[in-house]
Amino acid sequence: MTVQLRGRAEAITIQWIPKYTLLERVGHWLHTASFVPLAITGMVLYFPFLQPLAQGAAGEFFRLVHRAAAVIFGVLPVIYFIFQPRRFIMNIREFLPSKEDIGWLRGAPAYYLFGRHEAMPPQGRFNAGEKLNGLVMIIAWVIFGITGLLMWFGKGIASPELFRWAVLLHDLAMIASVCMFLVHLYLAVAHPLMWAALVSMRFGVTSAEYAAEHHAKWYYGPKRAMEIYEARKREAARSGH
Amino acid sequence: MARLAMLIDESQCTACRGCQVACKQWNDREGWLYSRTRNWGSYENPPDLSPQTWTRIKFTEYEGPDGFHWLFLKEGCMHCGNPACVAVCPTGALKQQSNGLVTLEPELCNGCGYCTQFCPFHIPRLETDVLTGQGKSSKCTFCQDRVTNGLLPACVKTCPAKALDFGDREEMVAKGLARVEALKARGFTQANLYGLNEVGGLGRLYVLVAPPEAYGLPANPQYPALASFWQKIVQPLGSVAFGATIVGILGAFLITRRNIRMEEVR
Repeated sequence: MTVQLRGRAEAITIQWIPKYTLLERVGHWLHTASFVPLAITGMVLYFPFLQPLAQGAAGEFFRLVHRAAAVIFGVLPVIYFIFQPRRFIMNIREFLPSKEDIGWLRGAPAYYLFGRHEAMPPQGRFNAGEKLNGLVMIIAWVIFGITGLLMWFGKGIASPELFRWAVLLHDLAMIASVCMFLVHLYLAVAHPLMWAALVSMRFGVTSAEYAAEHHAKWYYGPKRAMEIYEARKREAARSGH
Repeated sequence: MARLAMLIDESQCTACRGCQVACKQWNDREGWLYSRTRNWGSYENPPDLSPQTWTRIKFTEYEGPDGFHWLFLKEGCMHCGNPACVAVCPTGALKQQSNGLVTLEPELCNGCGYCTQFCPFHIPRLETDVLTGQGKSSKCTFCQDRVTNGLLPACVKTCPAKALDFGDREEMVAKGLARVEALKARGFTQANLYGLNEVGGLGRLYVLVAPPEAYGLPANPQYPALASFWQKIVQPLGSVAFGATIVGILGAFLITRRNIRMEEVR
């Protein structure tokens, strides 16, 4: 798909390539729409200064919202797996850590804070940061699911000791995933390099030029991507950078 | 204010269960809601504590050194000196009063049930809809309304065997220890006072004629370690993590804004 945008200075041509399926995008936004209320209603029981909101009828209301949102949160990946199992497994595979993620970690400050593209080794369809976000969310989903169901239906069936562990692990998963969510939100909404992220999550496509620049291993394949990266580094070294 | 306590002399208890009836009558608890009376092979009735049964006599058949005994235990909230339920309650419905009573305000309770799972004695019970989670926790409050107005708790007032006593905790401890000595002198070699130092010292002291385990009481009840770890370490660390993340994002945003302009991005 090719779209021509006419700006003031010149006409630019953007070539779009597909990145996400419709189900993935709808799932992503429903995930957001359930995660945010879950975090807010959960924190009512978490932060002591929110105690007035936890009391009596207000607290009962928040606990009810928490459960309703939890059903959506819990069911979404299952629906995704049922309808697009290949995509589901492919995505999880791409989230798995690899040795090259250390390169991302090394290059991340220069890349994200100072926009130095040459500092960042070629990344796959998801860069290591996105992989980390995905992995944290997947692990948190599993922990939320197991501990949440245990707290919901396990009172009086499971041992109190198990319930206590569940409360603790639920909190730990919440802390990790909310921190991850905040970073994810900042990068997607406010970081100038990440402009393509929101576009692809809304329309399912990403700019070919953007993909070549930021997800070279996905766009060119790992071998060609490394060749281009090395050539660029040599170029930069020769011109005295 | 001096700490109050109930002294329960299980050697005097005849299991008449007048205390159960008085408790329900004064505290407006239903008689039948959770367990209809039926013959289930024991004089014990009802079979368990419930949101409607805040105290009950537990029957144990015990083969002691001096032959068969029936052990009676008046179950109910221990009013711990260091109550885990109060610490984990996110609403403030559970409170430890200055006179040592651990009270529960139903209007503030949202039915989360943490107290039912963190109590070392498994006392608070949840009246709840399993699906929606709407409900209330409830337990013995030592008849807070009566006690603060100078009356005895309903169960103590009604006990015909004088097995129950209520008042200043130190006085109750002294009475209990004296009673244990008297029982020992009369040949009850296993007599002991339960609740002296457990979980910060219990507000419910038992004079027992057999080891606590024989009654089904935990021999060494502990304030749940996970509750301390969760509330004193994990929750503050979580707040620090949120703060650090937000500060980090703001910092990154400011640095990035100076160095990268949207127009330069391809």
